Amino acid sequence: MTLYNRYIITVTLLLLLTTVILIAIGQNSLDIYFIVYVIEALVITELYVYFNSKARRGLSYVSIILFGGFTIALCLQIIRILT
Amino acid sequence: MKSRNTYTWAGLGLLIAGGLITLPAYFIFHLIWLTALGICMLILSFILIALGKAVPKLPPEVCSLLLETGVDNIASLIEELGIKSKAIYLPSSLAGKYPRAFIPLHSNGSHPEITKALPKRLIARYGSSPEDIGLLISTIGSAATGMLESKPGATPDELEAALTSLLIGRLGVASSTRVICNNNHINVEIFKPRLENGASWSHQCLGGPLATVVASVAAEAWDKPMTISQEVQVNGKYSVELEVGK
Repeated sequence: MTLYNRYIITVTLLLLLTTVILIAIGQNSLDIYFIVYVIEALVITELYVYFNSKARRGLSYVSIILFGGFTIALCLQIIRILT
Repeated sequence: MKSRNTYTWAGLGLLIAGGLITLPAYFIFHLIWLTALGICMLILSFILIALGKAVPKLPPEVCSLLLETGVDNIASLIEELGIKSKAIYLPSSLAGKYPRAFIPLHSNGSHPEITKALPKRLIARYGSSPEDIGLLISTIGSAATGMLESKPGATPDELEAALTSLLIGRLGVASSTRVICNNNHINVEIFKPRLENGASWSHQCLGGPLATVVASVAAEAWDKPMTISQEVQVNGKYSVELEVGK
């Protein structure tokens, strides 16, 4: 199995497992789902340091998009708590 | 139409499916768990599309053909000349633009001492004696070293990091590596290798494909000539022992 496949399978399994666990505990906030997904995806991406520079560059764009979404979700949560 | 690999196709498929699930699930059915599942698919689709751009454009079969042709030509040359001496892997400072293997044509058992840069020719002279000549050839390791982003350092940890990055990250031919240094010997262990070693004459002279990569990277890291003194493959572990030259 190549490194790319191992990385994709790890992320897929982790995201699916998280979904099952969050559904099982009755989580009903989409923000929480999204924040957990983004944190997991960013952590796994950082752990796979041996990707080549082209793959790392591509994944860093994905990380920026996910981090942008994470920041927006976090800001919305903070605004909701404050108001 | 621009050719796309399986990662890109899978990514585009997940992007469409994720969009088709997320939007109705959130706006029409108001199902959070289904929306979350759709978001999962969208995240995976972004990752697959990003990785799809990093996959080599040449199919593995074409790469295999090019590799076999090159290796066959070198093997024929070595066998025809009847060379029995072991190759010395030289760093780029002694071999030109990138590390190469030098095979002395005449050997009395001891390794020749190469102290100055050799001319970039197939048949190169390294000493003043008429017998001080040999073949300076590029190996798989020579090309593989060019894939490294920077020159590796001369500590075992740095060499291990360079080999892991190359053999696992770039070439995908092993699962992990370990480097142990002992005086002027370097032991490199490669776990779960996916490249087979041949038993031909040229392999005894140059070493197996993985050993050539290890020797070339180590020669570049130490900036010293290296010789493959031993290579053993047992139980999914491939061990290469290198001897550091002077």
